[in-house]
Amino acid sequence: MITFAAPWLLLALPALPLLWWILRVTPPQPRRMDFPAAMLLRDLPIAEETPARTPWWVLLMRVLAAALLILGLARPVAGPGGAASGAGTLLLVLDDGWASGPDWPLRVAIAQAELDRAGREGRPAALLTTTPGEGGAPPRVIGPMPAEDLAPRLAALRPRSWPPDRAAALAALDSWGRTERFSTLYLSDALAHQDGDAAQAFMARLAAGGPLTLARAEERPVRLLSPPRIEGDRLMLTLRQSPVSTPGEAQVIARSQDGRALARASFTLGAGATEAEAVLELPTEIRNRVYRLDLAEETGPGAVVLLDERFRRRPVGLLPGAEEAAADAPLIGDLFYLERALAPFTELRRGEVERLLARPLSVLILADRPVPQGPELTALNRFVEQGGTLIRFAGARLAEHPDSLLPVQLRAERQLGGSLSWEQPQHLAPFAEGSPFAGLAVPAEISVERQVLAEPSPRLAERVWARLADGTPLVTAETRGAGRIVLFHVTATAEWSDLPLSGLFVQMLRRLVSLSAGVSGQEGEGTLAPLEALDGFGRLVPPPHGAQPLPPTGAATPSARTPPGWYGVAGGEGYRRALNLGDSLPAPTLHAQPPIGTAFRGIAGIPPERDLGPWLMAAALLILALDLLASLRLRGLLTLARTAGIVLILSAGPALAQQNDGLQALVTRLGYVSTGDSATDETTRQGLAGLSDFVNRRTAAALGDPVGVTPGRDDLSLFPLLYFTVRPDAPALDPAAISALNGFMRNGGIILFDTRDEGSGEGFAPGARAALRRVTQGLAIPPLMPVPEEHVLRRAFYLLAELPGRFAGGTVWVSREQDRANDSVSPVVIGGHDWAGAWATDARGQNIHAAVPGGARQRILAYRFGANLVMYALTGNYKGDQVHVPAILERLGN
Amino acid sequence: MAEIQLSPARAEAAASRLPPLIVQAERIAATVMQGVHGRRRSGHGDAFWQFRAYSPGDSASSVDWRQSAKADRLFVRETEWEAAQTVLLWRDPSPSMRWRSSPELEEKSQRADLLLLALASLLLRGGERVRLVPGDIRAFMGRAALPALAAALMRPVPEGSPTLDPSMPRHARIVMFGDFLQPVPEIQAILSDFAARPLRGQMLQILDPAEESLPYSGRIRFDGLEGEAPLLVPRVETIRALYTERLAAHRDAISTMARAAGWGFSTHRTDQPPHLALLALWQALAPA
Repeated sequence: MITFAAPWLLLALPALPLLWWILRVTPPQPRRMDFPAAMLLRDLPIAEETPARTPWWVLLMRVLAAALLILGLARPVAGPGGAASGAGTLLLVLDDGWASGPDWPLRVAIAQAELDRAGREGRPAALLTTTPGEGGAPPRVIGPMPAEDLAPRLAALRPRSWPPDRAAALAALDSWGRTERFSTLYLSDALAHQDGDAAQAFMARLAAGGPLTLARAEERPVRLLSPPRIEGDRLMLTLRQSPVSTPGEAQVIARSQDGRALARASFTLGAGATEAEAVLELPTEIRNRVYRLDLAEETGPGAVVLLDERFRRRPVGLLPGAEEAAADAPLIGDLFYLERALAPFTELRRGEVERLLARPLSVLILADRPVPQGPELTALNRFVEQGGTLIRFAGARLAEHPDSLLPVQLRAERQLGGSLSWEQPQHLAPFAEGSPFAGLAVPAEISVERQVLAEPSPRLAERVWARLADGTPLVTAETRGAGRIVLFHVTATAEWSDLPLSGLFVQMLRRLVSLSAGVSGQEGEGTLAPLEALDGFGRLVPPPHGAQPLPPTGAATPSARTPPGWYGVAGGEGYRRALNLGDSLPAPTLHAQPPIGTAFRGIAGIPPERDLGPWLMAAALLILALDLLASLRLRGLLTLARTAGIVLILSAGPALAQQNDGLQALVTRLGYVSTGDSATDETTRQGLAGLSDFVNRRTAAALGDPVGVTPGRDDLSLFPLLYFTVRPDAPALDPAAISALNGFMRNGGIILFDTRDEGSGEGFAPGARAALRRVTQGLAIPPLMPVPEEHVLRRAFYLLAELPGRFAGGTVWVSREQDRANDSVSPVVIGGHDWAGAWATDARGQNIHAAVPGGARQRILAYRFGANLVMYALTGNYKGDQVHVPAILERLGN
Repeated sequence: MAEIQLSPARAEAAASRLPPLIVQAERIAATVMQGVHGRRRSGHGDAFWQFRAYSPGDSASSVDWRQSAKADRLFVRETEWEAAQTVLLWRDPSPSMRWRSSPELEEKSQRADLLLLALASLLLRGGERVRLVPGDIRAFMGRAALPALAAALMRPVPEGSPTLDPSMPRHARIVMFGDFLQPVPEIQAILSDFAARPLRGQMLQILDPAEESLPYSGRIRFDGLEGEAPLLVPRVETIRALYTERLAAHRDAISTMARAAGWGFSTHRTDQPPHLALLALWQALAPA
């Protein structure tokens, strides 16, 4: 349906036939020609056969242009929103709570369309948002005012990251105090939230004021991601959503603090389902780096869970038995094995007892260290009582001076398999069912030569977590207060047993650490100030004005005063606590049905209204431009060649610039094969630009700007090196491209194939290797081998032991040195290190993509590989010949 | 009548054109020189003409002793007769000469300048005196005078008929370059005026190819270059044959007039090489 904003202009349409007639009787301008012999032309008998007439198609064009101009000026509007019809003030009501974030642009577009319509009809408009503002300012009706004035207010609205408060909105409506009728468009998030019947009362009040249209996204569920539960190594994820009739699925991505995706898990939701679970299995060292969980392709604070230290950090303190310096002695130091076993997956801390206990700690390990009476014992006791895990290792000193911080009474020390003993060294018995170590495989080669023995007692059996083959306890534990004391009856060194040498030791420690309580709420005084807040789109932003600190303990509910986000003590090492929507909000449920007589409309899939006027005007201008060209042509001022030139410039300007081979040939430059994906091509171009820059600075080579080429269409002979990024979806090459690339390689060109998923980047581009096979189907790829140590590619400019790009550790392949045709220069280099990504720089010369595993060294090596590659492409094996220089010099000397 | 402005910028532009023009003119003249030689009569001059046997009455200083020593007789060295004659050169300065039908061609006035200079170069080499009419009273002599002549040629000349110059010598020769597209009576008047002086001479009609063939079609408004009223022709192709006929008649009329006065009349087109026209002129100027 099309309406006109200025319909009276259509009255000009009947004048078109008049225009036709005027144009028809006006002959076209003749061509003008200077002519010296005009005198001779004078008085020639001229036979006027037909009067000159404007050709009919020119007439048609001009009349059409005039018609389009008239229509365009009348401002036709296609698909005007017809929802909140009615007279009087238009009241726009928007739920701008956390559930509106995902489809916020659509909501604003619909409201804007309605506002435009009201503006055309000259109706005033008012705006009410149902969510409290920053700092808890209650909702308030803005307006009524002219619709045009309200538009900037509407555009400035942003969704909040806390729930709406419809009771407060109802109060705002009451205090607005309109008596005459108004029509309402209510863009609802369709959720009941915590306000019970307030939604219904609110809608009833709206309906009482006049016709009510309720817009809601019916087929799109509102999803709320709950904080995960930790079960051993696994994170159990729960997704709750409002019921929809169609089954769906969702993906959750675990991200590190710098935004890298670490893992993902999938939810599957059946039709009508409101809850789904997923499991995220991660090694502990990776799990400790998880910073937030995001729902893929979903924005809004409900789709984000921030993981604070409760989910991550298990800091472990280490205390040696003797002095600190001797504890690290290789192979014999008290902490040597412990540190190596724990460092990969925990955060280790060293230092004096007071310093260690000054900060939250989950596990404290004492290696053969007796604790005498005094403040240290008191402090350790308090640590265990409050939930800490204390792990102790026996030893000569502990056996001499047992203290109270032990799960069992120690009796004596026994030696097995010594020269004065009948007994043989003992092996470990399999772990019992109830032990925390249950399920760990016990290697047969572990033997225990000395141990401390426990005083038999009735409760001994239940305190034993591991035994030797003869039944004597090896690991005992006792729960004290909220915490636990674990004793290994052997040393943490290889002195008494082989246990610290085995992999079992690492696994046992890992179990113990994951058993310990995480570092939860910082005890004591002080409140947690807001550090960062999630906005309505699920992004972390500075906290809004009016955000209040959280109390140190106890539950907190996300609200306008305490928006979801990070709270804590400012500063690098400070304690932080995450407040998530999923912590305390109930599962999303639909609110009650609106009153009878309410009109409905959807939010998704409604084409917003479009103003056709500008398009019509543009079409008219285009026709007039064509008419100008045509009449110039008719008057002879435009030759055919010029017309063709203008048309070419207008239609194929960018393409022409690409084709300018003459300029390209003047400078040596690197080329890349256009993949058809603009982002990939742009990265490759930036990479080659960065490399060209590096090579220009460091070497005598002078490279111009890199150029993208399409093999088979562009001339490849201008490039020494082609960068071929193989995307997983790369199609097979066409015959023209194959023959062009084969010719390029035959004539000495080098192609670098990059699959971008080798080494540390494995899995970044699944399917790229299959794509490589597909792409190289028809190419004359010679037999390959990994780049040998002595290959020129490693020595052409820099000496390189490895050839990393953005990724490192994969294998790079070159041809075997057997092809004498090109002086054994390999026509291909095949790898998957995403070199272009490492080389890529932005306009300010900053690197764009992070290297994996990272570090400045890797970046430098990537550039050096690039320089070597360029040198290899430019000079071939010339640098390889340099090794013969001493021999040649010697021969010359003789 | 379009004014030709005398301005420093214009003079400079013209001067910058001079050396190439002179070089070109010299080159064309040289091609013509190869086939043509001097007066072929013994007389006063610098160039050697012939040896002849001594006859009583010849002065002793005229005996060529070197040649005489080779034989038993005495020889006298004779030089070629070089009768200096004044040749007047005129080219049409009217705006209608400054026209060309396509960018590939020279303007008619450029071709006229070139031919004039080349002819002058030939004449100066032959020892003739050359004068530009109207305007300049000075006659140029000697080969070195060519650049000065060229500079004088680039100076704007007063418009009008060449007959207005009272200082023209009698019995001189005159060469006129122009398109001669004026009405026949005007040309007749000039010609009869010259013939009465008496002056004899050559007329070279320089035309653009388009002026001969009228290669246009369609509805065209023709604007004259000399202020004629514009002329709208609905379909040019229909009058092409008529135009060609009329041009031929115009030429015939001029040719007849010229022959009657003992003048020569030839035509030249700017798409033809200039040598041909120059050679024809040179031979027509040469004494029988």
